[in-house]
Amino acid sequence: MAVVQAILDGLMIGGVYAVISIGLTLVFGVMGIVNFAQAEFLMLGMFVAYYAWAWLGLDPLLAAPLAFAVVFLLGAALQRVLIRRVLKAPEVAQIFLTVGLLIVLENAALLMFGSGFRSVSTPYQTSSLQLGPLFISVPYLAAFAMSVASGLALWLFLKSSWFGRAMRATAQDPMAARLMGIDADRMHMLAFALGVGLTAFGGAVILPYLTASPTVGTQFAVLMFTVVVLGGLGSVAGAVVGGLAVGIIQSLSALVFPIQLQNLVLFVVFIAVLAFRPKGLLGAAR
Amino acid sequence: MSALSVRQALGLALLAALAIALPFAFEPRGYGIRILCLALLFAAMAQAWNIVAGLANQISLGHAAFFGIGAYTSTLLLIHFGITPWLGMMAAAVLGGLAALLISLPTMRLRGHYFALATLAFGEVMRVIGNSWGGLTGGPVGISVPFAKPNLALMQFADTRASYWLMLGALVVVTVIFVAIKRSRLGYRLRAIKENADAAEVIGVDTTRTKIVAAVISGALTAALGTLYAQFQFFFDPDTVFGVASISVRMAMIAIVGGIGTAAGPILGAFFVIPLEEIANQVFSAQAAGLSQLVFGVLLILVILVEPRGFMAIGPRIRRLLRREER
Amino acid sequence: MVAPLLQVTGLGKRFGGLQALSEVSLSVAPGEILGLIGPNGAGKTTLFSTLVGLHRPDAGTIRLDGRDLVGLKPHKIAAAGMVKTFQNVALFLDSTVLDNVLTGGLMRHAIPEARELARRCLERVGIGAIAGKIARDLSFPERARVEVARALCTEPRVLLLDEAMAALNHAEMDAFMDLLRQLRAEGLTLVVVEHHMRAIMALCDRLVVLNFGQMIATGTPAEIARDPAVIEAYLGRSAA
Repeated sequence: MAVVQAILDGLMIGGVYAVISIGLTLVFGVMGIVNFAQAEFLMLGMFVAYYAWAWLGLDPLLAAPLAFAVVFLLGAALQRVLIRRVLKAPEVAQIFLTVGLLIVLENAALLMFGSGFRSVSTPYQTSSLQLGPLFISVPYLAAFAMSVASGLALWLFLKSSWFGRAMRATAQDPMAARLMGIDADRMHMLAFALGVGLTAFGGAVILPYLTASPTVGTQFAVLMFTVVVLGGLGSVAGAVVGGLAVGIIQSLSALVFPIQLQNLVLFVVFIAVLAFRPKGLLGAAR
Repeated sequence: MSALSVRQALGLALLAALAIALPFAFEPRGYGIRILCLALLFAAMAQAWNIVAGLANQISLGHAAFFGIGAYTSTLLLIHFGITPWLGMMAAAVLGGLAALLISLPTMRLRGHYFALATLAFGEVMRVIGNSWGGLTGGPVGISVPFAKPNLALMQFADTRASYWLMLGALVVVTVIFVAIKRSRLGYRLRAIKENADAAEVIGVDTTRTKIVAAVISGALTAALGTLYAQFQFFFDPDTVFGVASISVRMAMIAIVGGIGTAAGPILGAFFVIPLEEIANQVFSAQAAGLSQLVFGVLLILVILVEPRGFMAIGPRIRRLLRREER
Repeated sequence: MVAPLLQVTGLGKRFGGLQALSEVSLSVAPGEILGLIGPNGAGKTTLFSTLVGLHRPDAGTIRLDGRDLVGLKPHKIAAAGMVKTFQNVALFLDSTVLDNVLTGGLMRHAIPEARELARRCLERVGIGAIAGKIARDLSFPERARVEVARALCTEPRVLLLDEAMAALNHAEMDAFMDLLRQLRAEGLTLVVVEHHMRAIMALCDRLVVLNFGQMIATGTPAEIARDPAVIEAYLGRSAA
């Protein structure tokens, strides 16, 4: 039963992992860039939700769309001012631009919010549902449900809106997309803004069970990379599978290993996947 | 790539004399000379990173793994077996080289962002191991190098100037190795891989072996420098020596700011970045934690956007501008 | 008949759903110049890439002087003596011309000897004067010649040239063909992919025609020029 419970918990957190990682894979798919700063936008999402709760009394789940919107705009601006300039630059420039962004965002947060840990209190924080012998924590379930909802919204957007189709076209064949009159620059901006916005949304929905701090991003960075690499960099569907897989791996390894070694298992999986299946477990499923 | 001209040789000799004499301008145990020591050490580290990243364009974000291995190896050998850090440094280099081999075998096929991600994870693996294997490393609280009466045999000095000369020697050794590699067959092969890996293979370059050899040399040197760091700081913890920001990114950033792939780049970069960081820490840390790191990040972004080839490219750029003025 | 230097039998290569090569068999005698022709997408470049080990074939054997090369990495095949040039030219763009060519010599020589050899190779292909230029600054015909010089600098026994004459004018092309004949006289074996029919007819001892990854004809240039299957492949069914 402990195993089933662990798998259930893993699925719940894995859903969140999927949503926070979709942005990473979206940006890679459309622009060919790994955004090393992606996890910092999760941290920003957490802080937006925190202040919405502290100042406006808004529940973090309700503040999630606000977090999305704020970070979406920030992302669009960053794409315009910074990322756009290195799209054709050597990889070393691409890598260290986003690494620099990571350092700036983390320390700017430290300056603005201080180094303390901040958490919200909600009425459902400690409650859980019982399903026979299994328990589902309500904040986990809520975060999972919100993640599924936002994931579905993104899927619908990519599938049926003109922007979504244009973005996918840009990812698949930039040349053809240009010929069709799609403005690649705008698509990149949209992809980046959407990507970081979704990550921030994920940050907001986990605030009921996690504390926010300027350095919270580092806990998530390698985890997010593992998710997208497992699913295949560039594949949105892969990120969903990868997210669920990482959630389950993490909670199952918690049964066997002490807490501090949980991430070790993930890193080893990560390196192994990169080494043996660099296109992801789903192969060329993009 | 022939031997040095007389002018260059004279210039180098003058520079060497200056570098050796520089500590006499500082207080022997003061703060200034400690910054110089760190600048020299980080220049050497960036130079070691430069072997793989600069010559072969394999951008590692995990060199802290080797650095930390080096710091812990000599320190543990000293604590448990009383082995002098001089020998400990050799052992560190061997283990660092082995670790580089271990991580290279599965990752050498990877390029670009993928390689960066894999090495990043490797560094993090080592950090987690360092933090959780408390029985060996002392865990997150850190570890101290046993303090002895200052003596050369244990690589401990009363006078920080001695540390300075040690670091200077290390920088010279690593730089000479870098230049020798760059001019050797290995260097040509690495450059061929950097510029077109498929073409390199087809004309007879064993790209896998070449990259592994470079990675092992780079890892071994980085580990040896880890030993010097441990002996200089006397205390360290896993989050510092295996840190992404504190070591891996900083090494890379110094090389990039100065000029990636060049011998002088890491040295210029270190003597700009490290003092700047220290000054920023002195000035701002009281008011605002994070400000100096923020400066560091902004600087990295600026360099990438303005001149990704670093300071080394600015000289020729100015010269070109001047020539255009003349015309 | 002398034993073939390069013998390919039943070579097959599939990319996903596309059968890029199927049942390709050919043999090249020492000192021969074999021409490889066929419409765009016939599999000529894929064949070259497979021969030098950039792709691993799904079926068949590749023997160089009796030694099976299948499964060897490109650098091993280069060491065995077979090298190709790249159709789209794959130079080390930020290096000098001399360093580009020199790198090819490092497989068998130390740097000073490789440098001497590289200079000779550059002279041979007629671009000794641009040895100090950066590859990125060259014109396309110049780049193609550097590519040939670099391949020569590996001292191959079999050289696979993938459209090395593209973008040459008539005089240059004649000079280049003279060079190839001279190299052949010195014992080099050549397989040449080329679009210029005039050049290939004048240069090659024998031709192999590929279409949709399959060999549809082989023979002397004169025989090929009369072959109905070849005419059909080039001109389409309506003209046949």
